[in-house]
This record gives sequence, C-alpha cells and structure tokens, in this order.
Amino acid sequence: MEQQAIWAIGIFLVIYALIISEKIHRTIIAMIGGLLMVVLGIVDQETAIHHIDFNTLGLLIGMMIIVSTTAETGMFKYIAVLAAKKAKGEPIRILILLSLITAACSAFLDNVTTVLLIVPVTFSITRQLRVDPVPFLLTQIIASNVGGTATLIGDPPNIMIGSAVPELTFMAFIANLAPVAILVMVVYVPFFIWMFRKKIQTTEELKQGVMAMSEKELISDPKLLRKCLIILGLTLLGFFTHQMLHLESATVALAGAFLLLLLTGEHKLEQALTKVEWMTIFFFVGLFVLVSGLVETGVIAQLAKRAIDLTGGDPIATSMLILWLSAIASAFIDNIPFVATMIPMIQEMGSMGVSDLEPLWWSLALGACLGGNGTLIGASANLIVAGMAGKEGHPIRFVQYLKVGFPLMLLSVVISSVYVYLRYLI
Amino acid sequence: MEQQALWAIGIFLVIYAIIISEKIHRTIVAMIGGLIMVVLGIVNQETAIHHIDFNTLGLLIGMMIIVSTTAETGVFKYIAVLAAKKAKGEPVRILVLLSLITAVGSAFLDNVTTVLLMVPVTFSITRQLRVNPVPFLVTQIIASNVGGTATLIGDPPNIMIGSAVKELTFMAFINNLAPVAVVVMAAYVPLFIWLFRKKIQTTDELKRGVMEMNEKNLISDPKLLRKCLTVLGLTLVGFFTHQLFHLESASVALAGAFVLLLLTGEHRMEQAFAKVEWMTIFFFVGLFVLVSGLIETGVIAELAKKAIDLTGGDLVATSLLILWLSAIASAFLDNIPFVATMIPMIQEMGSMGVDNLEPLWWSLALGACLGGNGSLIGASANLIVAGMAGKEGYPIRFVQFLKIGFPLMLLSIVLSSVYIYLRYLI
Amino acid sequence: MLNYGYDEAALRISESANENDVEFRIVLAADDPSIIAGLKRVRQEFDENRVYTDVLFYHYPDHEYKIIVRKDYYVDFVLELMKQRLLQSVEWTADR
Repeated sequence: MEQQAIWAIGIFLVIYALIISEKIHRTIIAMIGGLLMVVLGIVDQETAIHHIDFNTLGLLIGMMIIVSTTAETGMFKYIAVLAAKKAKGEPIRILILLSLITAACSAFLDNVTTVLLIVPVTFSITRQLRVDPVPFLLTQIIASNVGGTATLIGDPPNIMIGSAVPELTFMAFIANLAPVAILVMVVYVPFFIWMFRKKIQTTEELKQGVMAMSEKELISDPKLLRKCLIILGLTLLGFFTHQMLHLESATVALAGAFLLLLLTGEHKLEQALTKVEWMTIFFFVGLFVLVSGLVETGVIAQLAKRAIDLTGGDPIATSMLILWLSAIASAFIDNIPFVATMIPMIQEMGSMGVSDLEPLWWSLALGACLGGNGTLIGASANLIVAGMAGKEGHPIRFVQYLKVGFPLMLLSVVISSVYVYLRYLI
Repeated sequence: MEQQALWAIGIFLVIYAIIISEKIHRTIVAMIGGLIMVVLGIVNQETAIHHIDFNTLGLLIGMMIIVSTTAETGVFKYIAVLAAKKAKGEPVRILVLLSLITAVGSAFLDNVTTVLLMVPVTFSITRQLRVNPVPFLVTQIIASNVGGTATLIGDPPNIMIGSAVKELTFMAFINNLAPVAVVVMAAYVPLFIWLFRKKIQTTDELKRGVMEMNEKNLISDPKLLRKCLTVLGLTLVGFFTHQLFHLESASVALAGAFVLLLLTGEHRMEQAFAKVEWMTIFFFVGLFVLVSGLIETGVIAELAKKAIDLTGGDLVATSLLILWLSAIASAFLDNIPFVATMIPMIQEMGSMGVDNLEPLWWSLALGACLGGNGSLIGASANLIVAGMAGKEGYPIRFVQFLKIGFPLMLLSIVLSSVYIYLRYLI
Repeated sequence: MLNYGYDEAALRISESANENDVEFRIVLAADDPSIIAGLKRVRQEFDENRVYTDVLFYHYPDHEYKIIVRKDYYVDFVLELMKQRLLQSVEWTADR
C-alpha cells in the first residue's frame, strides 16, 4: 500500500511537470498518466471509471453542442455590431461594452467558447476603426474569467465543484458567487478605461463608418436562431430549477443539446459532435483518473490532514489558505488539474471534522476562477485568445499580459477575501 | 413501481420503433430516449451513468484512433494492390482474396472501419478492370460480418458481451468463436465463386494493366507506418494477454491510442478525434441508458423468467432459442440495441439458476454477428457500404442483397447450431 | 495583380489600398437575390476558414458592403467572387 502511494505520487508529479512544461500536448500527457495508473494496477479500470466525473463531461459536451450550433446563426456578430453602434463608434466605449458582454456571456457559456465567439468580431470592429486590437483582447480575457466565476456553468472549476458537491445547486452558485463577480467587474471597468483610453484613438470618419453599418443582414439563419434561442432559454430554465426537478446539470445540458439536434435535423449532428472539443474532454478524463490514483492510495487524505494540522482546523485560516493557494496556483498552472486535486482534499476535510465546508468550496471556486487572470497561461481562454491573436499578427506577450493581469488578479482576490470573511466567517 | 415499468416499456418500444423507421437519425432518437428515462425519474443520472458500459466505449474510441491514423499511411491500399497482383489480375480471384482480407481485417478491427478502408481500393481496382464492383462489395460485406465474429474486438456485439462478462477473455472469444468463423468462411468461398464468376469477366489487356501497377509508392509515410504497426502490434499483444495483466480491453486500446498519439505528435490528435465516429459512440450511450430503464424497473428480469419458463430452463433449447432469435432479429434490426437488451437478460438467467451461461453467450454472439448478413440493414457495415456504393453510382438494392445474404446467413446459423450443440451441449 | 470585369448593371465594385489592406466597396444596383446569395457565400467561405482577419465584411444599408481584404488574401477573394459569378472575367495583369 505504501509502495503504491509512492508510485502514485511519482507518476502524478512527473505528469504534472510535463503538463506545465507544455512540451507535449496536455491531453496526451494526462491520458497517458491516467492510463499508467491503471496499467500499473494502482487503480483498476472500474475504479478509475468510477472516479471520472461524467456529470462534468456531459455538461461540457451538451453546452458545446448548443453553443456551436447557436454561433452559426450569426447572433453573436449581430450583438457585437449593435454594441459598437450603441457606443457611437467610440473605441473605449466599445472596449467596455464588449468586455461586459464577454463577462455576461461567459457566466452562462463556457469561457473558451465565449472568447472564440467574441474574438473574431473584435478583430472585425478594430480593423474598421484602425485601432490596436490587443487592449480589447486583454480586457476580454479578464472579463471572461471574472464572468465565468458567477455561475455553476461559467467556468470548468465551478462545473467540477458543482458536480462533485450535489448540495451546491445552480442557484447556490449564483447567490454566493455572482455578487463577487459583479463587484470585481465594477472595480475593473475604471481601470480598463484608465489603462487603455489613450492607446485606442480613432478618427471621426472611421467612427461614422461604424455607425452607418447595418446589423440586420448578419443574422444568417433566422429560423435556426429561433430554435437555438428557445433551447438555450429552456436549458437555462432547466439549470435554474434543476434541484426542484431532481435532475443533475449534465442531464439538463444534454437534453437541451439533443432536443436542438432533433429540431435542426440530422445534418447538423455530425458537425455538432465534431465541434465538441474532444481534446478538452479527454484532458478531463485523464486528470480524473490521474487524481483517482492519489485518492485511492490515501495520498489526498494525508494531504488534507496536513493542511488541517497547519491551520489547526480553523475555518478562517483554512478558507484563506485555500483561496490564496488556489489563486496563486491557478495563475501559473492550469486550474483544471489543480481543482481536480483539491476537490477530493476538501471532501476529506469534511470527513475529518470540518463541519461547514461551504466557505471552503466558495474559496476554491473564487481562487481558481479569478486566479486564472494572473498570467497568460492561467486559464484556457487566455491561451486561446493569445493563440488567435498571434496567428493574426497581433502577438500578446507573456510579460505584457502579466503587467495588466497580475495586479488586477491580486485586487480581485483581496476583494474575495473580504467577501468570504464578511459573509461566511463572522 | 409497476407504473414505472409500464412507462419504461412504453418509452423503449416507441424509441425502438422510431429507430427502425429511420425517419430521424438513430443517435438523436436513442439519446433522447435515454434522457427521457432520466428526466422522468425512471432512473436517476447516477444509475444511468453506472449502466453505460464505458469499457465498450473506450475500446471503440481507442481502436478508431489507432485505425484512422494507420489508414493515413496507405498500408491498406498497398495490401489491396499486392493482392490484386498476386491474383494475376483475375477478377474472381481478386474477389476471393479481397473478401478474405476483409474477414481477417475485421476480426481485428471494427467492421465499419474495415469496409471504409476496403471499399475505396475495391472501386479503384474494379474500375481499372472495368468490372461491376457490386459483387466485390457484397462479398466484402458478408466477409466483414463473418470475420468480425471471430474475436472480442471484431464486432460491436462481441465487444459488448466481452465487456459485460469479465470471465470471457480475448483468448476465450478466439478459442470459441474463431473456429466457427473459419468454417463459415470456408463454406462461403466456393459459393462466392459459383455465384459471381460469370458476372465479372475482363480482358487480358486489362489484367496486364493491373499486373504492371507499382504498389511501392502507395505507402505515403513509411515512418508513420512503422510507428502505427508497432503500436498496433503491441495493442494486439495487449489484447491477447489482457487477462494476465489484469487489464480490461478499453485500457489496452486507449493505451495503444495515446501512445501512438504521443509518438506521432500532437498535430495528429485533433484530426484523430475528429475521425472518431462520435455518432456511434453516442448511439451506444443512449441505448445503454434506455436499457437501464428496463433493467431498473425489473422488466428485463421478468422477460428472462418468461424465456426460461418457455424453454423449461433446458440448456439446449435456451441456447438454440437465443441463437436463432438473435440471428433473425439482427438480420432486420440493428444488432447493437438488440444485444444491449439481451445481455442483462442472460445475466438475469444466471441468477435464476441457469448455471452454465457460456453456451448462451456464444449463441448470442454468433446469432447477433452472423445474423447481420441476413439483410442490407442487418449491420452498420452493410449500410455504410450500400451508402458509399450508391453515392458512386452503383446502388445495391435491398432485395438484390437479400437473395444472396439471407440464404448464406441461414447456412451460417445452421453451422453454428451444429457447432454449439456438439461443443457445449452433449 | 488582377484585372476583372463584372456586370455594371447589377453591381459596382471599387477598391482602394489602405496600409496592408485593400478595401473593397460593393454596391448592388438592384435587389437581386442571386447576387445577394452569392455574396453571402463569399462571406461564409472566409468566415469558416481558420483565419479571422483575411477578409472582413461590413454591411451597410441599401445593399452596400465594405470589405477589408488583407493583401495576402487579395487573389483568393477576387477568385471567390469569380467562383460565385459576381465577376464575369478575371485575368492576370502584365506586371507579374
């Protein structure tokens, strides 16, 4: 048993190091790590499968199908052009509006999906205004991570926490996390204006060009749009009421997805399934199995015990430890593997006598989601935007991002500390 | 409880009927059926997930990744051209050789994959010889179903049986089913020659054209080929010995797949995932959940009891009932949902006092796999070949196939009956 | 580069260089659904490829379109217009 635990720790650390080094694609590494745990007999396949959180996977797959189909209708382009016109073509106003839209969308859609939708329209608008797109992209990265914090479905860490802890419903996430997310966003907006106003100036003539645009024609398929909006609405309604209906979130998302495919007909089926980001899904699969090796050999329990010894089981100290540890860790490493490791640890703490786990869960969620803003590699959305920008000839440098993102991240975690302390700990 | 069972039966029958009608894509129908079971509370999400056979899914996904990567190397084209040259360009010899290659290929690869690889080269060779490709395609369909019978990984029914019944190892499948498959194939070859020799005549000049082909330059990427063959070989060794290592087949297949992706580098990964047939995977997911509704409400147990009452629990009668029922059913409906329903039924029979289940499992496997030859809609491979042929201007008619396939199917089931009776029941 | 001809009764095309871009202005003379559909397909073609800033479309009222084309996609764009039969002829100019 002791021997097994050492093997498990060894595999885990090597795989983690390889993921951080980014020499080989993280999906391949995580899957190989998970399979090593099985092949070496540290967990058997059945136990490993039992540790894979299929609720998280089902929720992600369902939402990806719904969103990729909705994107085809041109709705997101329509919204962006409308926003640019409402901002009277003034770049800084457009920047703020687009970042608010990003925050709102990524509260209800996956962050990566949101930026995949918003970045192309950002390029389109900034090109017309002949301004640098980078400030727009930076604020959108940051807004997507803040917005994603607000709901159960907004960000992978929240999805994982919500599906590991059935007591935390969709409404509970909104009631506890949305206030922080809104507060952080409100604090960020003046900073955005102050930092970027000077850098994005344009001429009156170009502004007029934006104002004269017609957004009507951007809706390429109004019939499909109606179907998508109905399903999206029903799915959100399902999330809000899933506790009452005794349904889990994956069932809601998958029901929405396959109802939409039923409505749109089978020609969209193959396309929709191909557009699911299978690399992300299998990254999750690999990680869950990898962590299951640590759980089954008792390593996680041991770690949880150490952490409680360290804080003396004091809820304030434990919460703050989790919040700040998660934030710093998520700034530099992928927050998904980190949260996958922390969840069983916090569960262990529950069985070790910490009676009120709720502040710990919210601390983990806030730290992991907001921490993603710390560096360019802190969250998948950051990497995706950087990748897209680089390809289009507007590279975002690691240090350039760090100067903006890291202070803003620290600010948001300070706000969160105050919030968690005031709301749960006194 | 009684009420729940009626609902479950109702949903099951309606979904089955819609699947057979083929008005809506079977994947959408099966997923919606499964989700209805969960939404109506007949099974909860956790139970439903527990009933999904992830070993089957993992095995399919792993093999699809390995095969789609291997196909890119051109090795299958190479083999086909080599076979045509070895046959001295004589059409009927080529027909027999290609059907034998198909049988061997589909013993170790999924049937659909095998025909997807064989059909394009068949078109290429028959076009050059100016002969009708339909006889080639028909024999390949039949050969793929026979070959698929031989191993655990050859055909979806076998994969499902092998992963539901731990005692039946990869070697056990080969020991018990490969002899039948070989005998059936041996019986079919003279019939193929007799049926088609007259229809596919060509000139000596065209034969010489085939003989002069150069197969060497068909291997487009020798380095990749070496990697693929190494991994394919290791994976097969893994299957042969999986019992010894206490590994399940999905672990072996996925380990093979991700080691291959590790070797080929990440640029192949996105493509490999896109080529996995997600529609088939989700069809399985939907079916497993659908059937779980019947299992949890006790409907399957009731059916098993009825079947035992019918045969008086007599092993010979029960085996032959399962064999013939599976064959006829699989000839006219998809054998995957049928097998998904039969597996829990046979398991129930085990808990009802039938002590030797092995003949029942082999009867199910033989009936479901070989029954697929009975009509053009009997197995996915049949439909895929028919679809490809129709698109290229050589439609295969339902009745045209029935006249050949159904008698050959009956012959194979008679052979199987004799085999089962002699080997297991006296 | 390219010389192209089109049906002047149906549409007007003008282009101007702007830094690294070529800006096209296309005005449709009449409400011809086949031309609108053709233009929509051109847009789809460049929306669905993996480059976001190759060809960007801006819609204005009265069937007027501004299209910002990156220089390295100029030929692709003109050929796509040809493929959708919005142009009647395309030929290489002598300077190449």
